[in-house]
Amino acid sequence: MIFEMKHITKTYGKVVANDDVSLHLNRGEILAIVGENGAGKSTIMKILYGLEKPDSGEIVVGGKPCRFRNPSDAMAAGIGMVQQHFMLFEPMTVAENIVFKNEVRRGPFIDRAKTLETVEALSQRYGLKIDPGARIADCPVGLRQRVEILKILYQNAEIIIFDEPSAVLTPLEVEALLETLRSLAAAGKSIVLITHKLQEVMAVADRIYVMRQGRVVAERLASETDMNELAVLMVGHPLASYDIGRPLTGETLLETRDLCLTEGGRDVLRRISLHVDAGEIVGIAGVSGNGQSDLVSCITGLRSPTSGTVTVCGRDVTGRPVREIRDAGLAHIPEDRYIWGSAPEGTLEENTLMGKQDEEPFSSRGIVSQKEIRHYAERLIGDFAVKAASSQQKMRELSGGNAQKLIVARELSLGTPVIICCEPTRGVDIGAMESIHRRLLRRRGEGAGILLVSSELTEIMNLSDRIYVIFEGQLVGEFPRGSMDDRRLGLLMVGGTLADEQ
Amino acid sequence: MMYLAQVINSTLREISPILLVALCAGVCSKVQVFNIALEGTLLTSAFFAFLTHYFLHNIFLSVAVAMAVAMCMSFIMSFFIVRLKGQPMIVGMALNTFARGFTTFLLSVIFNTKGAVNPSDMKGLTKLSLPVIRDIPFVSTVFSSLTAIDYLSFVLAVVMFVIMYRTVIGFRLRALGMSASAASSLGVNVQRYQIAAATLSGCLIGLAGCLLTLGRSTMFIQDISGARGYVALAANNLCKGHPLGAILSSALFGFTTALAQSLQGTAIRQQLLQCIPYISTIAAMAVYNAYAKRKAAH
Amino acid sequence: MNSKRDSHKTLGRILDAATQPLVAILISLLLGAVVILIIGKNPVAAYGEMIRGAFGKRVYLMNTLKRATPIIMGGLAVCIAWRSGYEAMGGEGQMILGAMAAALAAYYLPLPGALRILAALLAAAVVGALYSMLSGWLYEKFDVTFVISTLMLNYIANYFAAYLCNYPLRDPEANVYQMQNAQTGKIPSFATLPPIIKGWVHWGFVLALLAVFITWFLFSRTTFGYKSRMGGLNARFALYGGISPRRMLYLVMILSGLMAGLGGAFEALGSKGRYVDQMIFSTGYAWSGMVAALLAGMNPVGTAVASILLAGLAVGGSTMMLNMSIPLEVCNIIEGIITLLMSVKLVRIAASNRKARKAAKGGEAA
Repeated sequence: MIFEMKHITKTYGKVVANDDVSLHLNRGEILAIVGENGAGKSTIMKILYGLEKPDSGEIVVGGKPCRFRNPSDAMAAGIGMVQQHFMLFEPMTVAENIVFKNEVRRGPFIDRAKTLETVEALSQRYGLKIDPGARIADCPVGLRQRVEILKILYQNAEIIIFDEPSAVLTPLEVEALLETLRSLAAAGKSIVLITHKLQEVMAVADRIYVMRQGRVVAERLASETDMNELAVLMVGHPLASYDIGRPLTGETLLETRDLCLTEGGRDVLRRISLHVDAGEIVGIAGVSGNGQSDLVSCITGLRSPTSGTVTVCGRDVTGRPVREIRDAGLAHIPEDRYIWGSAPEGTLEENTLMGKQDEEPFSSRGIVSQKEIRHYAERLIGDFAVKAASSQQKMRELSGGNAQKLIVARELSLGTPVIICCEPTRGVDIGAMESIHRRLLRRRGEGAGILLVSSELTEIMNLSDRIYVIFEGQLVGEFPRGSMDDRRLGLLMVGGTLADEQ
Repeated sequence: MMYLAQVINSTLREISPILLVALCAGVCSKVQVFNIALEGTLLTSAFFAFLTHYFLHNIFLSVAVAMAVAMCMSFIMSFFIVRLKGQPMIVGMALNTFARGFTTFLLSVIFNTKGAVNPSDMKGLTKLSLPVIRDIPFVSTVFSSLTAIDYLSFVLAVVMFVIMYRTVIGFRLRALGMSASAASSLGVNVQRYQIAAATLSGCLIGLAGCLLTLGRSTMFIQDISGARGYVALAANNLCKGHPLGAILSSALFGFTTALAQSLQGTAIRQQLLQCIPYISTIAAMAVYNAYAKRKAAH
Repeated sequence: MNSKRDSHKTLGRILDAATQPLVAILISLLLGAVVILIIGKNPVAAYGEMIRGAFGKRVYLMNTLKRATPIIMGGLAVCIAWRSGYEAMGGEGQMILGAMAAALAAYYLPLPGALRILAALLAAAVVGALYSMLSGWLYEKFDVTFVISTLMLNYIANYFAAYLCNYPLRDPEANVYQMQNAQTGKIPSFATLPPIIKGWVHWGFVLALLAVFITWFLFSRTTFGYKSRMGGLNARFALYGGISPRRMLYLVMILSGLMAGLGGAFEALGSKGRYVDQMIFSTGYAWSGMVAALLAGMNPVGTAVASILLAGLAVGGSTMMLNMSIPLEVCNIIEGIITLLMSVKLVRIAASNRKARKAAKGGEAA
């Protein structure tokens, strides 16, 4: 047994993130911790890595009780963590990133040649291929993750924690990652894998803890369980499958023709032609970073396309200002709720008003009506069951799921025929997710045309009437509901063709 | 010909204080401490360099005191910005206001004047006269009456380049400026590095301060820093914090200032000439940014 | 019942907002007292002189309000720009050019009485707004940051105005041998801003208060206020919501420059009766305005209150200087320290520290 956590409890205010959690890890083992978002798996690992302090409980590493005040303490005890968001210096090289803090020096100077040599040797020892001299900014996501792993190995970590490592990877990169995990374990490293992707767990893990609502609800050996059992343990009840019914397609509401975007000499979007009809949800499946965000900003007016046209409800709105496009009949649930979707320091009232500020009854001739704005905000908060103390509290005081619900409420209440919906359920709990999905389906039933962009393939498959697959800024396929399985979609998403399958 | 030599000479003398301040600004910007207290720091250190020399008649002590004072100011600046999360702009303006008030206050308490103090018997920094150079006609004018600190400023630019781009400590500073979260995830105390870097680089401003009051002439005038701190900020903005680039961008501003001075006594009035460095600062930034933008587009 | 609770809430909010400025003012006055002690004077007496000199008699109070007038306008300019997320510091330059424009218009335009005043105010507003737009344009077109462009433009404005009043537009009746700052021609008294009542502050102060009200109204009751605030809180959110950033940038710059320009005009038409070289630059009106806006957390009404206090500090300071020979610059030192303390959210930090300590204790006990 290389480490053990005993009776860890951690609360944030009233929320109990970890409730009497006990777990242990054996040498050379791959241990998986699975659970829904918000089940407390990230918190427990942050405690182990010294990023958070437990309210009570004990950590024992190598037989000795430890108190980690910060990540340095954890690192000194041989624990390393590959974070979900990479912690890299983008303008610097791979080698520089790996040696940071334990530089190869010659006196006060950096020994560049030796740095490259050391990193090269390290990469060969663990069979993790990289180019030490390449700049991180030029590396694809999979490589960046490899750099993170090497960084930890360079620090001589014995225990490596992976937090949702496959969230940002392409299916091929996921394969490579799983292979890496196996070889690291074979080299005697102990691995903790935090994830909610059960296929991966079944593929590599030796042992599995299932967490739900801050507690460990089950411990299983991989050989004695299967995906179905784990899924039920995770959610607490059998998964409901979606039956969205037949679409009532009507006229075309949103259309793009040969949309192209060139930035810094790079073709970000290549001749994208798509259409969304009344009463259907159209999904865009793709690995993040293949042009989805750019497509959405070109449609919504945040950026101007280089060529091609965008038509909303029969009006050509190519390159027009956001205001005009919205007026043509478009609502937009943005990808990131705090960067684009809200002003965290603003009140809920101010945040619900956005988009309607120039409309009666909220304002007339430039003068706003506080009363109407308040009523409206309170109505939306009530209708969408947003948990908030008052409409005058600040947006940032809401939990992620509630903030997202408010944004969805704001955009859906515009009652526009076209809805652009990006990552509508990223980082929200199951309850909020179901409610958001229900609302989207209701708007579809009312005849709205919805363009759904999501990196969660399940979400796309469950909700969409039609699916486009995007790869490197190009649409590489269009499929009606039910004609595709996720394996074949996955293949297209990474640039394969259906012929490759045979 | 002689005229050209004089212009180059005064350009050189105008460069060095701006360059030194810009080097400090460079370090600060690399570690993500937005420092507009440069102006106040320069003013305060210039004053204390003068004061120390006035009472103690010791040039080395004056330089040391000026550097210490500048480091103090830089420490306060970085402590308020980094540690207390003060808004950088406001912290900087506060220190500049304070410096202006403080120096004028001491000026009137100690010298009983508000304008200028110009003691005739005071000897400032020695003007170096280099052996071979002083015998060559044109070149001797170019390099005449430069002090050791003038020469040192160019050396320091190279030294700063080596520190920032070749040593371990410079590597860490640049890295943590790129991503504080990445650095702290490896257990580096980012705030401590930021404050230390900003404070230590403050000594460069101290040297610049000495040049103002003990360099060309030995005197202190109210507001003697004359926006050089802000100009240095702009210079650093142009060279994106690169110490060698700072030589070039400071030269641009040094040259326009020297040009304005050399045109004095011509038909163009002095007040209009004094606008030139500021206008060219804005113009240089606009042109550079337009160029960078166009380059990025291709 | 309900309204009573509401008024309590309002009072509480004002107190909350006022805590930090009060603490900051107190600390800096204490430090100022230390400085006064060091030069061997009695700080209690000095501050007594200062308060008396600022508010003690009607004449003194009127002097304070007179001085507060341009500070209020400079403060409003800062409120408008900073609340919208543009940290511009060009108030000084705009004020200088506004004062110059007003002084010239009132001196040279052949218009009768009140019309001439109106024309002068208009000229100041337009010039201030245009100069402010220039920094907005540099920012939009060339990404020249506001800090650098506005600071440089301040110096340019001051030198340019110095040129104008030293050479082409110098007062024709000025005595060449007199040792004084250069100035433009004296505005005829019918074209100046007269006192409200004889011996009282000039009408500029009333206009400044009107500007405070207008700004307050803009901020809290109009879509412009909403849009600019959203732009300031999260520019991308505003863009996403259909607020044109370009339009807001120029609107905000125009309004902010207009306020500063008018501030200069009030000073030229109300106090000096002409443009005098360095009249804005050396007095630091624009900077005091910035401090005032900061003290008030970008609230226009608070800015007016803080401006009057800061004006009192300076006016009282000169009495202190005259009667106790303490240099006026003590006031600058105090102002600097206040600003420094205001840059940090002291109250919030203290509160969060308390909370952290409490939490740490709780954790230990459990």
